[in-house]
Amino acid sequence: MTADDATTLGGIGSRELAVAAALALAVVVATAAFPMIVDARAAYEIPVEQQSSAGDLADPTGDAWQSVETVDVPMSSSGAAVPGGSDAAVDSASVAAARTDERLYLRLSWSDASANTSTDSLRAFADSTAVQLPVSSEERPPIAMGSTDNRVNVWYWNGADGTESLLAGGAGSTTQIPESAVETNAAHSGDRWTVVFSRPLASDRANVTDIAPNEDVNAAFAVWQGANEERSGQKAVSEWYYLSLDPDDGGAPYETVLWALAGIAVVFTTFVTVEGIRRTRGE
Amino acid sequence: MSKTTDDTVHQTEDGARQTEDGDVPLAEGVDHQVAMVMDLNKCIGCQTCTIACKTNWTESGGREYMYWNNVETKPGAGYPRDWEEMGGGWDEEGQSRTPGELPEQEDYGRAWDFNHEAIMYEGSDEPLRPMENADWGPNWDEDEGAGEYPNSYYFYLPRICNHCTHPSCVEACPRSAIYKREEDGIVLVDQDRCRGYRYCVEGCPYKKVFYNAQTKTSEKCIFCYPRIEGEGPEGEVRPPSCAEDCPPQLRHVGFLDDEAGPIHKLVNEYEVALRLHPEYRTEPNVYYIPPYAPPQTSESGETVDADRIPRNYLEELFGPEVESALNTITREREKVERGEESELMEILSTVNNDDQYRLEVFDDDG
Ligand code: SF4
Ligand code: SF4
Repeated sequence: MTADDATTLGGIGSRELAVAAALALAVVVATAAFPMIVDARAAYEIPVEQQSSAGDLADPTGDAWQSVETVDVPMSSSGAAVPGGSDAAVDSASVAAARTDERLYLRLSWSDASANTSTDSLRAFADSTAVQLPVSSEERPPIAMGSTDNRVNVWYWNGADGTESLLAGGAGSTTQIPESAVETNAAHSGDRWTVVFSRPLASDRANVTDIAPNEDVNAAFAVWQGANEERSGQKAVSEWYYLSLDPDDGGAPYETVLWALAGIAVVFTTFVTVEGIRRTRGE
Repeated sequence: MSKTTDDTVHQTEDGARQTEDGDVPLAEGVDHQVAMVMDLNKCIGCQTCTIACKTNWTESGGREYMYWNNVETKPGAGYPRDWEEMGGGWDEEGQSRTPGELPEQEDYGRAWDFNHEAIMYEGSDEPLRPMENADWGPNWDEDEGAGEYPNSYYFYLPRICNHCTHPSCVEACPRSAIYKREEDGIVLVDQDRCRGYRYCVEGCPYKKVFYNAQTKTSEKCIFCYPRIEGEGPEGEVRPPSCAEDCPPQLRHVGFLDDEAGPIHKLVNEYEVALRLHPEYRTEPNVYYIPPYAPPQTSESGETVDADRIPRNYLEELFGPEVESALNTITREREKVERGEESELMEILSTVNNDDQYRLEVFDDDG
């Protein structure tokens, strides 16, 4: 700031300065105290709510889910190279996440009027859903089942056969991981499926994602509608999201940082202005 | 698998290649190709082949409805019902698959419950019969055929998986769980890799892959590979059961690329053994000698110079080459009638199993 600029501010009285200071203070307070009001979340974030005990989180209709924020995740056909690869029925899923000190709970819910839970006849295909996580990499694996050098874990639930943990390094490479630690509970009511996946956060097994308690984890979601004969690559898929496990995120990292910077800038400008005026007046 | 659109899946470089030492095109990556020739003029529809296969491979465990070998009456809806209308195979360029339909369980037929209890234990004098839903099953339309008396006609068509050179079932699987075996081109489903997606069931235009709802995997004819590997009875190399147990011994079994063998002669030299529905473009390795029938007769029972089985119907099944195949056979038959030699007629009428089943010719290959 130059002396000329300061001079042009010469007419500002102390009342105006007080208003400006109060405004700056209000912005800072708002930013720190109500980030959720400023904006709900960052794009692609799935907030993970810390709960002191598991309660009924494993239950798709459990009360413990009432306080947990739900994210509406848009989905579209995978476009995979199978017949019907561009014909997936489901177009979105609601995803919520919670954790205790030991366990991660993920709840997926999507609309499907008919519960298809059998593969017991030739033309029967079961409703299914899956969560895909990188095995280890910091870098997001290719969305379609990862790649040979950046593999993915898939937590898979199928209405007929229950739960599987899968390892994949590219489309068509899916193999089952024996003795899976993933548990599921599913409920169909009111034209909707709700499925809760849960797993201990930590894993020391090869090829199984070890979820660090304080680090964000990438995740993508898929849904198959059995009534539409969906299976394999014929499925509705999301883009990559991330499970917000890092407490420093404050729930909305980009917005928080931006608003905090704006607040600081206003305070700084006000301070410099006040100082400049004082000096100009020779106080 | 490369590019895709909604309804077509383009194949990989899967074109046929020439063998190193011969002219017989085989599938890429396959050393030799097993093949079978069935002479439809000899089939009596006894179903011994069907039962031989069933007792070996598909008696239980979710396989009850499966007939890896079935014998259907033609003209007729076949097994599964109307399989020829269900799509699958390749388009005209042979590059893109045309996805087929999954049959309904009813198209194969269900196991029926009979009134054994009532008749055996409750003193009922009803006839023995299925109790309900007995309105379709394999061979439901057996011997119906077509045409008007006295010129009605039909013939039997035994069918197994064709262990195709360009198999659309293999291309259909996104997991490569179904594959063509390197040593002999037998098409197998790897039961550990299969996740029961049933794309192969849709993709096979002959409907010769079957979904097992108990194991949740797809299964199919294995060309009795343990028998041809010498793991069968008495540790001898044996032809598949359907061939060995056939009372009139109408099948030749060997390798397409065994150029000294009868199959090569029938298929490639005399060109009298034809593929069923060549327009599906999967290049089957089961071949058929097309059926003859007595000529038509007039109302008064006089023989008329007209084909009983319409040629255009045979062309629908075996393609336009059926014409020259039947002409060749007629010509060779006439030779024999005149007392001349005919290698073709000798091959077709042999009663020597060593000539019919040549499965050890490549054993020294290493
Ligand atoms: S007949 Fe069908 S199942 Fe058998 S190899 Fe050919 S396409 Fe595959
Ligand atoms: S055993 Fe031989 S004759 Fe009998 S139905 Fe089978 S192929 Fe025909």
